[in-house]
Amino acid sequence: MEPQDRIMDGDLQTLGLQSILKMLALSGKTGTLFVHSGPETLSIALRKGQVVALHEDGFFKPDLLGMLCLINKLDPQPAQAVREASQGNLQVALSMLVKHNLMSAAEMQRRLEFAVTQSISHALRWVDGRFAFHRQLVTMESQMQPLDIDSVLLEALRQADEWEEIGETQLTHMTFVRWLPEVGNDVRSLGLSQEYIEVLCLANGEVPLQAMAMVLMIPEARVARIVNRLLELRLIEVVDTALEAELQQDLSNIIIMCQHTLAQLRQNPTPEQHLLGLIDTLSKCINRLLIHHGRYAKSLRGRGKLPDVEIVRYLERRFAQPLQLIAKQQYPILETATFADGRLDCSEIIHLDKLVKGEKLEEFYWEAVLGLATFLRTVFATLLNDEVGNSHTGRQLNYVWKAFLTEIDQEIRQYQLYRAHQNTRQVRNRYSEADFQSGPDRSSVPQNEGNAYWSHETQRRSL
Amino acid sequence: MIEPIPTVLVVDDSPTVRKIVQMTLQRERIRVITAGDGLSALTSVADEMPAAILLDIQLPRMDGYHICQIIRKNLQFRSIPIIMLSGKDGLFDKMRGRLAGSTEYITKPFDSVELVQTVKKHLAGWQQRMPPQHEGMRTRLRRRG
Repeated sequence: MEPQDRIMDGDLQTLGLQSILKMLALSGKTGTLFVHSGPETLSIALRKGQVVALHEDGFFKPDLLGMLCLINKLDPQPAQAVREASQGNLQVALSMLVKHNLMSAAEMQRRLEFAVTQSISHALRWVDGRFAFHRQLVTMESQMQPLDIDSVLLEALRQADEWEEIGETQLTHMTFVRWLPEVGNDVRSLGLSQEYIEVLCLANGEVPLQAMAMVLMIPEARVARIVNRLLELRLIEVVDTALEAELQQDLSNIIIMCQHTLAQLRQNPTPEQHLLGLIDTLSKCINRLLIHHGRYAKSLRGRGKLPDVEIVRYLERRFAQPLQLIAKQQYPILETATFADGRLDCSEIIHLDKLVKGEKLEEFYWEAVLGLATFLRTVFATLLNDEVGNSHTGRQLNYVWKAFLTEIDQEIRQYQLYRAHQNTRQVRNRYSEADFQSGPDRSSVPQNEGNAYWSHETQRRSL
Repeated sequence: MIEPIPTVLVVDDSPTVRKIVQMTLQRERIRVITAGDGLSALTSVADEMPAAILLDIQLPRMDGYHICQIIRKNLQFRSIPIIMLSGKDGLFDKMRGRLAGSTEYITKPFDSVELVQTVKKHLAGWQQRMPPQHEGMRTRLRRRG
């Protein structure tokens, strides 16, 4: 846009947005008003003093179609088709919904009006910032009927005032909330109204308060009140995105480290060493996860630096019982593994070779691998559920975790294959011995056949 | 407004590594495509013309050095930055990677912050390196938001 087109500019402290809009409306101006504050920019297109379009930069782009599906106002299938065709353009998506009779034209107008009012209501609260009015009308796609500035301002100011009335709150228009993982009761028994239920449906950790207000077409302050009540009822929790990013990074690094150790195991020359390596890898992985959980567990967060004793006590309370259960019900070898200083100590299993030898040792190792793999699954599931629940981050991490588990399973299967082959060989040998006594054919099984199942090449092929 | 976003090809035989890298880079608004072996990697390079490649060395059928050499010999793809991912951190392996034509070398297990920084460093100016007529460009154009 050319500088000569700019007919007015200044800072918001000198002239507030409300006065600027009022002035432009009174003089029936046509052009584009740009308002900047920090990373946010609002572009309002005016024609003859009326709002014809609005565009917000640096603003979270909500997935309106996805949200309409969440509150059961749109089926996922047509939503997907519209999403693909509109390529994320909200205006195009809305007009497509109207075209396919999935939304009335009046509702589309109401939604667009609401979005404009909501954006102006945010901008009215900006204290620091600049504005510029250009006489050129920037092309902004809009299906909206022109809006009278007075009525938009009146509603925007009312919405802004409502926020002020809430008083001190931890909530902002960009707060994300999600269901608490431990909610298992039927929420219908709480007698919540439709609005509450709809906010609850949208509370998946990915929809900010602002977007909830937009899809429900109710002021943000009202959504904030509902969210506050749902927080009191312990049905939802506030999502800390910065913390989740840190947490995701930490868990990614742990998984990468464990995967790397697992990949190194493939070079082990014997099945026994391989099993021992697996025990070591699994127990290290469990301990890394325990250290991680000691830092990010929900009940340990936000309390500053905690004494180690408290963290250890928490970890043992949380994980010692599941370990005992696994040991008691399925894998008794794990009874020799203990919790010490909030870590799993498998040294007794690792040093079993000093007590047992041969096939028996291999059997013990094998049982320990299966037991530790089960416990590892339990640890990860528990910590993920506690730390991020069923959020976007949680699902992403689960996706990665499943890939890692398949790699562990492949290693376990590799050993099973070897074991099965060894058994077959033993059976065949028994038959051969019988044949030896009755006939001359003794060359049916080569002596090193079992080892062929453990060669480095076989392992790589199977992977 | 349509804003092109860069595509990074991740070549690794471990599904865990592929998914972690994918998750980490997607968070930074980088599109990620993956390949589990050398041949699929070369197909993806030809189809998508990625802005950068993260290449594991130990791969089934064809190793990372070989793939790197093939890409470097091709006039159309030779300017794509190739970041080698390897469990080996010996000087010899790094030199071998460099001789094969790699741009950078990351040792496994890598830190996700380090990974993002390295990838972003090599994505600077990626649009200038892209031939506009390439068919793969179309697939990389995604509407913002």
